[in-house]
This record gives sequence, structure tokens and C-alpha cells, in this order.
Amino acid sequence: MIQLSDYLIVSAILFGLSVAGIFLNRKNMIILLMSIELMLLAVNINFIAFSYYLGDTAGQVFVFFILTVAAAEAAIGLAILVVLFRNRRTINVQDMDSLKG
Amino acid sequence: MPFAIPNYNVAIPEMFVLGMACLVLIVDLFLTERSRTVTYLLSQATMVGAAVLTLTTYSQEVVLAFSGTFVRDAMGDVLKAFIYLSAFIVFLYAKPYLQARKLFKGEFYVLGLFGVLGMMVLVSAHSLLTVYLGLELLALSLYAMVALQRDSIFASESAMKYFILGALASGMLLYGMSMLYGATGSLDLGEISREVATTKMELVMVFGLVFIVVGLAFKLGAVPFHMWMPDVYQGAPTAVTLYIASAPKIAAFAMVIRLLNDGLYGLHMHWQDMLVILAILSMAVGNIFAIAQFNLKRMLAYSTIAHMGYLLLGILTGSGDGYAAAMFYTLSYALMSLGGFGMIILLSRAGFEADRLDDFKGLNERSPWYAFMMLILMFSMAGVPPFLGFWAKVSVLRELIHVDMTWLAIVAVVFSIIGAFYYLRIVKLMYFDKAEDNSEIKQDLDLHVALSANSLGILVLGIMPGPLMALCASAIGVM
Amino acid sequence: MGFEQFVFYVFAGLLLFAGAMVITVRNPVHAAMFLVMTFFTSAGLWLMLEAEFLAITLVLVYVGAVMVLFLFVVMMLDINLVPLREGFMRYLPVGILVALAMIIMMGLVVGPEFGAHPVPERHGPDYNNTAELGSILYTVYVYPFELAAVILVVAIIAAISLTLRRRPLVKHQDPDAQIAIRKQDRLRIVKMDSEKK
Repeated sequence: MIQLSDYLIVSAILFGLSVAGIFLNRKNMIILLMSIELMLLAVNINFIAFSYYLGDTAGQVFVFFILTVAAAEAAIGLAILVVLFRNRRTINVQDMDSLKG
Repeated sequence: MPFAIPNYNVAIPEMFVLGMACLVLIVDLFLTERSRTVTYLLSQATMVGAAVLTLTTYSQEVVLAFSGTFVRDAMGDVLKAFIYLSAFIVFLYAKPYLQARKLFKGEFYVLGLFGVLGMMVLVSAHSLLTVYLGLELLALSLYAMVALQRDSIFASESAMKYFILGALASGMLLYGMSMLYGATGSLDLGEISREVATTKMELVMVFGLVFIVVGLAFKLGAVPFHMWMPDVYQGAPTAVTLYIASAPKIAAFAMVIRLLNDGLYGLHMHWQDMLVILAILSMAVGNIFAIAQFNLKRMLAYSTIAHMGYLLLGILTGSGDGYAAAMFYTLSYALMSLGGFGMIILLSRAGFEADRLDDFKGLNERSPWYAFMMLILMFSMAGVPPFLGFWAKVSVLRELIHVDMTWLAIVAVVFSIIGAFYYLRIVKLMYFDKAEDNSEIKQDLDLHVALSANSLGILVLGIMPGPLMALCASAIGVM
Repeated sequence: MGFEQFVFYVFAGLLLFAGAMVITVRNPVHAAMFLVMTFFTSAGLWLMLEAEFLAITLVLVYVGAVMVLFLFVVMMLDINLVPLREGFMRYLPVGILVALAMIIMMGLVVGPEFGAHPVPERHGPDYNNTAELGSILYTVYVYPFELAAVILVVAIIAAISLTLRRRPLVKHQDPDAQIAIRKQDRLRIVKMDSEKK
């Protein structure tokens, strides 16, 4: 049988990948946003696995709300990205050196 | 499944703010540029109305509602009242600033009202789910407000940084919450605290706790998770910085108390150590880096980081008195921060931001009255007796000594002496340097009155801190 | 190895492969496509965990709407890809190290602690996941549900107010005005004497 820990380890690896993605793609905003989506996906897998193995639906309800909020978050993130691109003609994070100190 | 119709009465202030926010959104559509003041007046009416609704139903009772996802208690009511007050002052200070920059649009006020609603939800949260949703409602409103000045490179850059780090923090917080759910099998904070006391899965709990504390530290801006603060404070339009720097800090205090005390008090031993590290680092980095700043908004950002360190000192004691001291500190900080950014708005005009330290040179020649107001604010932030900030620091330090952490209190005193330097430098600039720009300060009458009242209020509260302290103590439930 | 385990390992393997590709591929469009693959495979895992409603929502909402939005933005912004890759190799060792450290630490906690959790019985064919979620979503969780609606409103306001540009100089048709036009608005009959030679 598949154990609860199997799902949790898959999710932990995915979480680690998303953190690595944030480290590696410091310059590329789009991939940064996608890494954050991966991170939320890892959390969702955790909640659903717990929900099934504990026999409690509350975990699934939480995932329902995370999905909703993540969609809203993606919309705002992309809107900010578009505004930034119109101003700078780039989405390179490293070019963002107007603010320093 | 047995299901009782929820007790809607306890959430009337939330429903009122939501209804009014939607009303403002619709009314604003039909307004012309010249009648935009109606939006402003409606927003202010919302804050006043919400304050009336909250204060008339104030009680010491703890009421749970909506299947335990919502809690109404005295601490929540007092914090909400101060959130309304902060938002009221922010809306008032922001008006001339926004008008001078063609930013006086309905969105600022609508998003501001939704942000207030998010803070109210956060303050009244009694479930991991409502903590998360309240936090996101606040955060999404803030991201959009920072980016609202669309043609400014600085604003959109800082919005992007704020967004990425904020989303990362939410991810961390959520991972921690998932571990708590796995270990306790519940999202309800009351249920979790009962489970924590009897759990066999302490390792998983502490593991989740680490992620939660990291997430909280990001949101508070505690070192080493503070990178976004200076950039956002400097890059955002001053009106938005003013908003971010005041009311959300009150909500963040509530979030820390709800999660760490209401939910995870059983792990106090563990989170105390983590908060000690965060607090020391925040006080050190905040106070030392602030000295090197030439931009006042950036300097105040580092000063905020330091203040968050002192706030954590009160919370990490884990005692009711400690929470009351931290709450007193938060409320005083919010008032001082409003005054500080209000002064920047007062001196600014179209095309001139007045956010460099040099812009405050010789303020005494230009306006002795406002130089004095700024003096009160700076002395209070520095913690010079007998100003309000002094009492805030004293009460936090006293509680530290009560729980036998005198060494930490000494560290805090050393850093606050270092910190006094950069606040006093501004006083020196105002009184002993020559003004670079001698133009008259032209602002609306309401800004003059409110800013003077704000600063004098801090002076009065500094002379008589007793009532506010007693209010915090009774709200937390220690008499 | 039972069939169930086989399916689990296939989905989990594909999920992690696609996740790794998302963060390493050069082209953002490819990254988006791999992200779609991670959503599909994790929807597979969720089906195995009897979360049918969420698995389908993930595909419909995420793949169908959010990823399309991502692709639109990637295509709309004419991005120069070369400078975006700078520093990737430089950060690679640190990134791998951090990720490995995190994964090992997380694995050491969740592996043993949840390794021997009893596996629940599968629900029978008459079990309806959607009905069960719905029955608590609109009762027990009605307050969070309303909050989620407010969050979506905020997202709409924010996205519109940040990106909507009114261009007063652009010429466009106004069908309302076109239809409402009357003959006398456009046509003028001028009485004049016939010209004489």
C-alpha cells in the first residue's frame, strides 16, 4: 500500500524544487511566479494527503481556498508584471537597481 | 449534519465595512473627477461607522461564531478600533498627496477599505483558514496599492519585490499550517491548542512551527526576512507607505498572538528561542543600517524593522503582561509612524517628494510649529523620556525582566541608544542647519489640524500613558 | 508491486520530473507547459486520494484559466531571453545545495513520523466527494467562502486598475451612436435654383 509518508515526501521534494527555482531564477520574474505556484501545489498535496489519511474533509476545504487565492494572486502578480514591463521594457530582476541602500 | 445558523451579530462591523467598500466601488464609477471627494467622504464615514458599531457592542466576553472560525473578544475590538483610527488618519493625510499627483482615484480608497476588512478578519481569526484568508485579503490589497502609481518605475519595482517575497512568505506559512493540520487533524486554533498539550507528534509540530515563524517574520519584516521593507517603503508613493506602515502592523501583532498564543502556546519553549534570535537581529540591523540612510522613508523602514524587534520582545515573554506591553508598543508605534510619514506628506508638493533627510534642514526657520511636532515624533520614536515611545520601551523591558531575561533587556537598551542617534540627527538638521528650500508650507487646513492633533496626542499620551496601558491590559485580560 | 503503487510512482515521477523542468528550462513558454504537466500529474495523485472535485478543479481552473493567463502574458511581453539566464549557472550549486538540504531535512521529519499511519478504507461507489465538500462549504465554512469571494473582487479591481489604459487618441466605432443616428443628422437637403446656362 502507499503510505501517507510517500505523498508527504513527494510534496517535500516539490517544495524543495520550488525553493531551488526561486534561487536559480532570480532574474526571471515569470519563472519566479511559476515557482511560487509549484510551492502552493506542494502544500496542496500535503493537505489532501492528510485529509485522506485522517478521514477529515477540512483539509480539502483548505485546498479549495488555497486554489482560489492562488488564482487571485497570479492575476495580481501578472498585472504588476505587465505594469513593470511597460515601465522598464524588461522583467529582469537584477536590472531592478533603482532602489538601493 | 447538525448545523446552526451562524450568529451574525458579532460580525456586524465586518459586514458593514464590506458593504460600504462595495458601495464606494459602485458610487465611484458614476463620479466625475471633480466630485471624487464623495469617495473620500464615504470611506471616512465607513471608518467612523465601523468604529461606532464595534465600540457600542464592546464587551469582555469571548464569543465564537461561524463554526469557530471567527472570534470576537476584547483584544480584537480594541485592535480593530485602532485600525479604524489609523485608516481614518491615513485616508486624511493621503488626500492632498494623491490630489497633487493625479492619483486621487477611487481605487486607493476601495483597496484601502478592503485592506481594512482583511485586517479585521485577521484580528478576529480563530482558524488557520481565516488567518490565511485575512492575511491574503490584506496582502493582495497592499500589492495593488503599491503599484497604483503606474508610471513610476520605483513603485512598480517595489510592488514586484513586495509581491514575490510576500507570496513566498505565504507559501512558507501554508506549509507550516499543513504540518500543524497533519499533526492535530484540525484547522481550529482552539482545537489545535488542546491537541498540542497532549500530542505525541512534537517533532512535526515544531517542524511546522519553524515554517510558521518564518512566514510571520516575513510579514512583520523581522531580520533576516526584512529585505522587502526598505525597498517597498521607499518605492511606494508616500500615501501608500503611510498605509503599510501603520494599520497592518496592528493586524500583524494580532496574527502573531492568534497563531503563537491562541494556537501554539504549548510550544512556547520552542517559539520563544526563535523569537529571541529574530528580535536581537532586528534591533541590531534596523538600528545600525538606519544610520547610513539619506532617504527618510528608507530610514523609517529600518527604524520599523528595529521597532518590530522590540515588539517581538514583548510577545516572546509568553505572559499576559508581556502581550499587553507588546500591544501598547504596537499601538504607540502605529501612531508615531502615522505622524512621521504625515510630516513627509506635509512638506511634499507636486513634483517634490520631501523624502530626503536634507529636505528637513532648517525646518525651524520655515515653520517652528512643525519643527516642534517633528521633534516630538522623533524623540518619541527614539524613546526619550517622557515621550510615548519611552513608556512603550519601558513596559516591554519591564516584562522581560519579570520573566528573568534581563540580559535581553540590556541588549535592547544598548541598541535603542545606538538607535537614538539617527532620530536625533533629524532634530539637529531641523534646528541647526540652514534650509535648502525656503518655500512656504502650503497644505489643506484638515491636514494641518490632523497632523498637529496626531503629534500633540503623542505628547499627551507620553505625559499620561496610564489609560492606554490600562486599556491594553484589560483587553488582553490581565488586570 | 500492486497496480495502485505502479500508478502512484508513475504520477509522482512525472510530477517531479516536470517540476524540475519548470525551474530549469530556458524558454518561459516551455516552463509554462511543464507547469501544466505538474498540474495534470498532481491531479492524478489527488484522484488516488479520493479528492475528485479538487482534482478536476485543478485541471479546469488551473490549466484552463491560470496557465492560459500565464501564457498570454509571456506571449504579450516581448521578452529577451538571453539576459534572463545570466547567473543561472553561478547559482546552480547553491540552489542544489539549499534544495537538497531542505528536502533531506523535510524527509527526515515526515518520513518516520507519518510512515506507519493506518491506511483508510476506500469509499464505496456511492460516495460523492463533491456533495460532501459542498455540504460543508456552504454551512460550516460559509464565512471563509464569503471571504474568498471578496478576495476575488479585490483581484479583479487590482488587475483592472493596474493594466487598463484609456487611449483617447485611438479611433473606434460606437455602435450605439451609429444606430441612434437619424437621417436629418447626416443629410442636408439644400434647395437651390437650377443653374442657367
